[in-house]
Amino acid sequence: MTNAQIEIQLIAALVAVACALPGTFLVLRKMAMISDAISHAILPGIVLGFFITQDLNSPLLILLAALTGVITVVLVEFIQKTGLVKKDTAIGLVFPALFSIGVILISKNANDVHLDIDAVLLGELAFAPFDRLFISGTDMGPKSLWVIGTILLISVVLLFLFFKELKLSTFDKGLATTLGFSPVILHYGLMTVSSVTIVGAFDAVGAVLVVALIIAPAATAYLLTDDLKRMLLLSCLFGIIAAIAGYWMANILDASIAGSMTTVLGMLFLFVYLFSPKQGVLHGFFRERRQRVEVSLLIFLLHLQNHTEEEERHVNHLREHINWQKVRAKTVLELAAKNNLIHTSNQIISLTDKGQEFTDEALKYITTNKATAIEDLKERFFLFRG
Amino acid sequence: MELIDFFTDYTLRTITLGTAILGAICGMLGSFAVLRKQSLLGDAISHAALPGIAIAFLITGVKDANYILIGALVSGLVGTFWIKGIVKRTRLKSDTALGLILSLFFGFGMLLLTFIQKMPNANQAGLDKYLFGQAATLVEKDVWIMAIVTGISLLVLLLFWKELKLLLFDVDYTKTLGFNTRFLDILITTFIVLAIVLGLQTVGVVLMSAMLLAPAAAARQWTNSLGVMVVLASVFGAFSGVFGTAISASQNNLSTGPVIVLVAATFVVISFIFSPSRGLLFREIRFRKNRREIHLKKTLTFMYHIAKNHENVSHPHTIRILNNFQGFTRKTLTKLEEKQFIQIQGNDWAMTEKGYVEAKSIFNQIGKEND
Repeated sequence: MTNAQIEIQLIAALVAVACALPGTFLVLRKMAMISDAISHAILPGIVLGFFITQDLNSPLLILLAALTGVITVVLVEFIQKTGLVKKDTAIGLVFPALFSIGVILISKNANDVHLDIDAVLLGELAFAPFDRLFISGTDMGPKSLWVIGTILLISVVLLFLFFKELKLSTFDKGLATTLGFSPVILHYGLMTVSSVTIVGAFDAVGAVLVVALIIAPAATAYLLTDDLKRMLLLSCLFGIIAAIAGYWMANILDASIAGSMTTVLGMLFLFVYLFSPKQGVLHGFFRERRQRVEVSLLIFLLHLQNHTEEEERHVNHLREHINWQKVRAKTVLELAAKNNLIHTSNQIISLTDKGQEFTDEALKYITTNKATAIEDLKERFFLFRG
Repeated sequence: MELIDFFTDYTLRTITLGTAILGAICGMLGSFAVLRKQSLLGDAISHAALPGIAIAFLITGVKDANYILIGALVSGLVGTFWIKGIVKRTRLKSDTALGLILSLFFGFGMLLLTFIQKMPNANQAGLDKYLFGQAATLVEKDVWIMAIVTGISLLVLLLFWKELKLLLFDVDYTKTLGFNTRFLDILITTFIVLAIVLGLQTVGVVLMSAMLLAPAAAARQWTNSLGVMVVLASVFGAFSGVFGTAISASQNNLSTGPVIVLVAATFVVISFIFSPSRGLLFREIRFRKNRREIHLKKTLTFMYHIAKNHENVSHPHTIRILNNFQGFTRKTLTKLEEKQFIQIQGNDWAMTEKGYVEAKSIFNQIGKEND
């Protein structure tokens, strides 16, 4: 690995972590789309700042652009407050307009500005190591490394200082307000940090893909854990994985680094979406199927309990009576037999003592409407689940 | 460029017609998106279409608008239904799902685009016009496709008008009436995706959502009727298309997308401010008028309390005693005098007979409302 390669990966990883921190709170606060709005709307701020400073990494430009981001949020909230349109429409109206202004500003001055549309959409991570910071002649590394490093440091410090407040106001706004934490200050604080981070990351990954770095790691982590700290750590981890794997993928395909970082994030999300142990689609599918079998089993046992006459308990009759298909009837019968809830003699099915006890208790829970207790009951009686 | 060029120049006529039709279909279907609170879905769909464009090119190897449209359509639909799947099957909320699909698909699309650009002897030039749109590339065939799709969607809208209207405003009721809401949902979503995909060539992936939203949001301010809104939105959309194209054609170096979006945004701002019933300007005027009237009434009732203690209601009082009363200003006094409720002589005011009757009725009315 050359020096430049290491630096690019380092910048990419720092950007990813810096985005993942505010991203986690945005996702939890159901404000993910505001990051999309900010990332587009800061463009005119960046362009104007660039006209003034002629340097994409200047602190003034970052502040100016971040201010545009906060103004966007205020504007969206103002439009929403007039009640003329809903919040999502307000977001959808504000950012394309501001973004358009930015694009027009760039294309009208395309000749004398070192800022083109591709850079806006994709960033220029590959060129980041060439723009270096010199302090009295000494090479201090790439400028963007310092920029994003500073931003990350500030957000980490803020996160540690206000972790408790942020956590509380995210999960229980009412309680946070009654305890005296101003929701307005926290809200705009988070918006400011997000704006500054987006501006800092903009240079590296571009307008649209910064949204991916904000939302995707947090969303993926949210499917894996219920713990805020763990979620923060996981989303940072996903961000770093995406940064490094994305860099190498881009290297192999000779394509955009930001694009392949996003693609890696997409694959991570897809994997977790399908296979997450609690939230995943496959898990949901199996759980649904198991619950269906268990409900059938309960109906079946209740039926057995209600009928003492033999013809009601004949195997074939059951199939007709409860109106199950053959396969399902077989699954239910096998499950019941495996757990010693029934025994069969001469094609006649009857409840065992254990089955009787189970049915009685289940009935009691059902009639008293304590649905949660059923789960315990199943744990106690079932050795083999459906 | 002269205005007359629009009617004589063949290319320009084609382009103008194309953007007008595009604006109309976007306004029409955008109305539904806005009213269903799916405004940002358009944003997600248009970004999600990008990998489809790239994949269509990778598979066919030619830059044929039809294949690319199909690719974009498929990938837009995949994105849309994945969003619905995420919201339904996981704990992630719709805003997260939208942002996720939007950015992930777009990132993947950009990866493919940059990959295509680096391919040897690839005839890729022009794929990036799908990012911000270039109306100048519209040819007559594209306009025909747009016209046909617009015709079909108009037909479908008319055919399912009352079902869709019901779906917009009361989903549960629609269900209980026995309509297949799932089918209706898929129907309208598919047409929205179709409209977005049609616009990609002209307005581009990044800004297409505004094309869908802005005309509808503007039209919403002028009416409370769905039919009128759809028609108005189409008109606004068509005009944004035409004006936007004209402006961008008259200058060098201007993509059509941003200009059209800014024109549409202007429509929105004008509607927000000047709409007679909902607009901010008239709302403020109404608000001030009401406040003035309340001040007037308050002052009058205050005077009534003073006047009724005297046998002669027109007994003059000094203006000074009104000073500790808040709603009173010089202006209210002149206004009251104009209406002949009081008479002012020097530093004194006196209630007229007419004013007394008026004040009494206001006082009684307030009393009644308090009961």
